[in-house]
Amino acid sequence: MSEEIGSVLPILLVAAPILAATLPLIFGLRLERTGWSVALVTCAGTFLASLSLATTVFGDATHVLVIHELGGFARPVGIELVADEFSTLIVLLVTGVSLAVLAYTRVGGPRGNTFYSGYLLLVGGLLGLSLTGDVFNMFVFLEIVGLGTYALVASGDGPESAVAALKYLIVGTVGASLYLLGVGFLFMATGTLNMLDLQTQVEAAGYDNTLVVAGFAFIFVGFAIKVAQWPLHGWQPDAYQHAPDGVTPLVAALVSTVSAYALGRVLFTVFTVDFVTATPYASEIIVAVGATSVVAGSVLAVIQYDVKRMLAYSSVSQFGLIVAAYGIATETAFVGAVIHLLGHGLLKAGLFLAVGVVALGYGARTVGEYAGLAHERPYVAGGMAVLLIALVGIPPSVGFIGKWYIALGAVQAEAWVVSAVIFLSTMLTLAYVARLLERMYFTPAHPLSDPHDTAHDHAPAAATDGGTDAANGGTTGRVTVAMLAVVVCIAVLAVLLGFAGGLFFELLEPFTAEVFN
Amino acid sequence: MIGLEILASHYAYALMFVLLGVGLYMMIANENLVKKVIGVNLFQTAIFLFFVSVAYVEVDGEPGDSPVVPAEVAPGELFVASPLPHVIVLTAIVVGVALTAVALALIVRIYSEYGTLREDTLREVRADE
Amino acid sequence: MVDPVSDPRPLAAVLVSAIAVVLIVASYRHPNVREGWSVLAALTKFGIVLSMLPGVLEGTVYEWSLAESTGLEFVAGIDFTLRADPLGMLFALLASFLWIFTSFYAAGYMRGLDEHAQTRFFAAFAASLSTAVGIAFAGNLLTIFVFYELLSLVTYPLVAHNEDDEARIAGRKYLTYTFFGGGVFLLAGTVLVYWLTGLVGEPTLEFEAGGMGALAEAAAVDPGIAQAAFFLLIAGFGVKAAVMPLHSWLADAMVAPTPVSGLLHAVAVVKSGAFGVARVILDVYGVETIQALPLQVPLVGEVGLNVPIAILAAFTLLAASIIALRKDHLKRRLAYSTTAQLSYIVLGLSLLNPLTIFGALFHIPAHAFGKLTLFFCAGAVHVETHTDYVSEMAGIGKRMPLVMSAFAIGAAGMAGMPLVAGFVSKFYMLTGAMQASYWPFALALIVSGVLNVAYLWPVVYTAFFESEDRHDAKPLLEFPPGGKRESYGVLEGVATDGGAPQPAGGGDDETEADESATDDEPTDEDYEYAVDQYPSDHTRGTDVHDDDDHTHDDGDDHHGHEDHHHGGAPPGGWERRSPFFGESTWLMLLPISVIATGAVVLGIVPDYAVFFEVADTVVESVTGEGVIQR
Repeated sequence: MSEEIGSVLPILLVAAPILAATLPLIFGLRLERTGWSVALVTCAGTFLASLSLATTVFGDATHVLVIHELGGFARPVGIELVADEFSTLIVLLVTGVSLAVLAYTRVGGPRGNTFYSGYLLLVGGLLGLSLTGDVFNMFVFLEIVGLGTYALVASGDGPESAVAALKYLIVGTVGASLYLLGVGFLFMATGTLNMLDLQTQVEAAGYDNTLVVAGFAFIFVGFAIKVAQWPLHGWQPDAYQHAPDGVTPLVAALVSTVSAYALGRVLFTVFTVDFVTATPYASEIIVAVGATSVVAGSVLAVIQYDVKRMLAYSSVSQFGLIVAAYGIATETAFVGAVIHLLGHGLLKAGLFLAVGVVALGYGARTVGEYAGLAHERPYVAGGMAVLLIALVGIPPSVGFIGKWYIALGAVQAEAWVVSAVIFLSTMLTLAYVARLLERMYFTPAHPLSDPHDTAHDHAPAAATDGGTDAANGGTTGRVTVAMLAVVVCIAVLAVLLGFAGGLFFELLEPFTAEVFN
Repeated sequence: MIGLEILASHYAYALMFVLLGVGLYMMIANENLVKKVIGVNLFQTAIFLFFVSVAYVEVDGEPGDSPVVPAEVAPGELFVASPLPHVIVLTAIVVGVALTAVALALIVRIYSEYGTLREDTLREVRADE
Repeated sequence: MVDPVSDPRPLAAVLVSAIAVVLIVASYRHPNVREGWSVLAALTKFGIVLSMLPGVLEGTVYEWSLAESTGLEFVAGIDFTLRADPLGMLFALLASFLWIFTSFYAAGYMRGLDEHAQTRFFAAFAASLSTAVGIAFAGNLLTIFVFYELLSLVTYPLVAHNEDDEARIAGRKYLTYTFFGGGVFLLAGTVLVYWLTGLVGEPTLEFEAGGMGALAEAAAVDPGIAQAAFFLLIAGFGVKAAVMPLHSWLADAMVAPTPVSGLLHAVAVVKSGAFGVARVILDVYGVETIQALPLQVPLVGEVGLNVPIAILAAFTLLAASIIALRKDHLKRRLAYSTTAQLSYIVLGLSLLNPLTIFGALFHIPAHAFGKLTLFFCAGAVHVETHTDYVSEMAGIGKRMPLVMSAFAIGAAGMAGMPLVAGFVSKFYMLTGAMQASYWPFALALIVSGVLNVAYLWPVVYTAFFESEDRHDAKPLLEFPPGGKRESYGVLEGVATDGGAPQPAGGGDDETEADESATDDEPTDEDYEYAVDQYPSDHTRGTDVHDDDDHTHDDGDDHHGHEDHHHGGAPPGGWERRSPFFGESTWLMLLPISVIATGAVVLGIVPDYAVFFEVADTVVESVTGEGVIQR
C-alpha cells in the first residue's frame, strides 16, 4: 500500500532554520539589524521547500512516505525523518504561518538579532517535531520547541513576560519529562524507538501489556500539558497574554498545534486505533478530557477582560475539540481533527496578529477598549470579525468543516454525549465571540454620547487603519499595510478553505485508509 | 513476601518514583523560584535514572533486548547493557542543562526587576502594580 | 423525478446581492449611488428569479453545483448545490419581489430618521436577501444550513442597529436563539440524517420532492433516531419560525428599525424558518415517512409524528394572539401577530393533508404581503409622527389617511377576511383540516381568526373612528387582567352626553400613562388646560397652527418627563393631510400602496397571481396531484 521515497527535503526543512538561527548572532557582531532579513529568507525558503514536499506527497493517490534516514542508518536503529500526508499538512501550516508573522514583526517588533535567532530555532524545532519518525527524537524536538518558546515569550519588554515564561518553562518541562517517561516504558516493553517499528512491536507486546498501557498514560498526560488541556492549561493564558504581540501569533498558532499533532501521531502511528479501542477506558478518558476542556475553556474565556487572554482560553476549548476527536477514533473524526488543527492554527494566527495590530494602532487591549473599533479601524475590525465568526464554526469557513467532520465522526461512533458537547460548543464559542463582536461593532467608542449625533456614517478620516491618532490614548505605533494585508489574507483564506472540505478528505485519505484500515 | 522481593529486585524503580515525587513536590510547594528549578532538575534526573536502570532489564532471565548487540548470546555468559538508553540519557542531560540555563536566565531577569525570588512576594508585588 | 438542468442562474440570483454588498460598502460616501445599488440589485435579482419561473412551472429544475463547476467538494460526500425547484421558487420569488419595495421603503425610512451607520444597514440588508434566496434554492440540508447560519449572522447587525442597550440585548437574544436553532439543532439533525442514510447505502442529504428515499428506508431501520432527527430539524427551523416556546426573540427584535422588522417578519427571516419546516416535512421526510413513524405515547397510544408539532403550532396560534391583545406598542403587537400567523403555516404543513399543505404554502406569500403592509404602515407612522403606541393613535387616520387605509387592508388580510390574501390560504387550510377530520385544529383556526380581528381591528378603529381627545378606554390594555369590577364608563368620566370630561380622568390615555410614570407630578393643571382647549370632539380645521404656537411650552414639558411618549397627537390634534401622497415621502408611500394592492390582488384573483400556481406545483410534485384544476 504505502510507497517510500528517499529525499533530502525533510532534513533540509529541519536543519536549515536551526543552522540559520546562528546567522543573526554571527552577523550581529558587525551589523545591527540583519535578523529580519535572515528570517525572511529562511522562512520563505522553507515554505517553498514544504510546497515541493507537498507535491511529492500529494502527487500520488497512494500512501506516500518521504523518508530521510539520518546518517544513513536504516530502520529500526537509525533516526528517521518522515513526511506523510498528515505531517505535510502541518509542515505547510508551520512554514506558512511563520512567514506570515514576519510581516508583523518587521515594524511591530520585538526587534533585535537574538529575537530572530530564537524565532528560527522555534521554527526549526516545530518542523522537526512535525517530521520526526522517532519517539525519542520527538522528545528532543519537543524540548527545542519549548526552549525557543520560553525565550520568545520572555523577549517582551516587561518583567511580566519573564514570570510567564518561567511558569511555562516549569510546567512545559514537566510535560515533556512525562512524555519521556512514557517513552521509557514503551522502550522497556519493545526495545525500539522508531515509530513504524514500534507500531508492530507494540502490537506484538500486546495491547494489555502493563508497560504499554503505562507508557500510553504518561505520554497522554505529557501531551495534555503541552496541548494545554483543562486542568493542565494553567501556563497557557499567562504565556499568551504576556508574550510580545509579535510572538503570540506564532506561539498560539503553532506550538500547541504541533504538540497536538504529535499526540495524534503517537496515538495513531505508534499505538494505533486498535490499541485505543482495545484498551478499556482509553477512548473514554481521551474523549472526557477533550470534552471537559471544551466546556471549561469556553466558560473561562467568557469571563476574561483581556482579549489575548480570552483567545488563549479559547485555544484550550478548541484543542479540547481536537483531543475529543482523537478519542472518538473514527476516520471522519480524525479528518475533522486534522482540519481543525490547521484551521484553528490559521485562525488564531490571524486573530492574534489582528490583536497586535489593534494594540499597535488603536491602543486597545481589553474587551472594553475594543468599543468602536469597527468605526475607527474598519479593515482590521472586518478581518477580525471574519476570523472570529469562522472560529465559531459558521459556514463557509475552515472552522465549520472541521467541526462538521468531528460531529459526524462522533455521531457515527454513536457517542451521544460527546456529540451533544460538540454541537453545544458552537454556543459556547459564540458566547465569547459575540461579546467581542458586540463591543467592536455595536458599542460606540464614547458610551455617554448618543450614537445618532456622533457616529456619522463613516467619517472619511477614519477610513484607513494606518492613521496615527489614538482614540483611547494608549500607546500606539505604526501599522503597516503589510500587517493589515496579512490579517485580511488569512481571513479570506479561512473562508475559502471552507469550500475545501472534500479536498482535505481526499488529501488525507491515503493516510486514514492506512490507519483505519 | 513477594512484595519485598519485588522491592529488592525493583528498588531502582521505587527510588526513581520517590525522586520524581520529591521533584514534583518541590516544584509545587516551594515558593523560591530557584528551588523550583532544582525541583525540575530532580524530576528530570529521576527519569534519567529510570532509563539507565531500564538498560539492565532482564526478560525471563534473558538479557534486555538491545537493538545493537544481538540477544543471542549464550545464556549467562554475556550480560550486556543496552547502549541506547545511555545515549538517550546523554542527550536528555544536554537538553536538561539547556533548560536549566534558560530558567536561571529568566530568574536573574525576574530578580533584577522585582528584587525577589519568592513567588508569594512576587505575587504581592505584581498585585500592587 | 426529473433530472435537474445545469444552469448558473440559481447561483447568480444568490450572488447578485452579495456583489451588491461590496458595491454598497464601496460607495459609502455617496448615499444616492449606494441606494441605487440596492435597488438595482433587487431588480436584477427579481429578474433572474422570474426568468426561471416559466421553466420551473413546466417541471424543469435548474441546478448549480459546486462540484460540477469547480470540482471542489464542499465536504466529503456532500455537494454544495443550488437548485431552483417549485418550492424554492415560491420563497425566492416572494423574497426578491418584496425586496424591491423594501429597499425603496428602507431608503425613505432611514433618511426620514437620519439614522446612523446607513451603509452597514444597507449592506447587511442586501446580504440577508442573498442568504434568503440561498435558503430558497439550497439543494440539500447542508447547503440550507450554510445559508441559514449566514442569514442569522447578517441579520444580527440589523437587529442591533441602534447601538443602545436595548438593541444590544435584543441582538444577544437574537443571536442566542437563532444559533441555538441553526448551529445546534439544525446541525445535529443534519448530521443525524446523513448518518442514518449512510446506514442503508450511500449517505446523502439531497432533497427529493416527496421525501428522501434513502431516509425512508433508514427510518424503518432505526425509527428512534429518525424521530429525534425530525424533531431536531423542526426545532432548528422552528426557532426562526417563532414557534412557541422558541418565539421570544421575535418580539424583542422589535427595537430594530422598521424596514428590518419588515425583513424579519415578512420578507426573509421568519419565512425562512417556515420554509425550512416545509422543506423538512415535504422534501426530507415526506408525508409517507412521517406517517410511518408513529410515536408511542404512554396512556394515549400511537400518535402521528406530526401531531406534537401541530399541537404546538395550534397552541402558539392561540396564545400569541391572546398576548397580542394586550400589547400597546404597535410593532410588538404585530410581532406577536407574526408569531401566530407563522404557526398557521407550520400547522398547515404538519397536518399533512394536500389541502392544508397548499393553504400553508400559499399563506407564505399571503402573510408576507399583509404583514409587510402592516409594518410599513407602522414605520411610516413612526417616521412622520413618532407614534409607537396604539393608545396614542386615536384619530391618526386624519394625519395619515393612505397609510392607515393600507393598514386596514393588511389587518383584514391577517384576520382572513374575504377579498384579501389571508382569506384564500385560511380557507384551504380550514377545508383541509375538516377533510382530514382534525376537528380540534379546525376549531383553533376559527378561534384564532376571531382573535386576529380582536387585536388588529382596534387599531383601525382608533385611527379612523376616534379622535385624539375623545376616545374610549382600552380595557384590554389598561385594566388589570380580568378587567375592573366597576363600570369604567362612569368612573373615567367619559360622559355619554358629550359634555366636558372630568379633569382628573381626562378621558385621555396620555394622562393614564402619565400618572403611572410620574405619580408625584401634578398633571391636573396641564390637563385642565388641554381639555379646555378641545371642548368638543369634532375636528378643527384651520386654527391648528394657532394652537400649536399657543401650547408649545406645555407640549415640551409634557415630553420632558416621558421617555417613551415621544408620540401621540401633537398638542393641536392631528393635522389633516391629503391621502394623495401628502402625508409622507413617496419613497415610503409607494411601497405601501404597491404591497397593499398586492395583498388585495392575491385575495381577489389568486389564480392570476403566480404564487397560487407555484404552490400548486409544489403540492403536485409532493403528493402526486394538484389541489386546483387547471
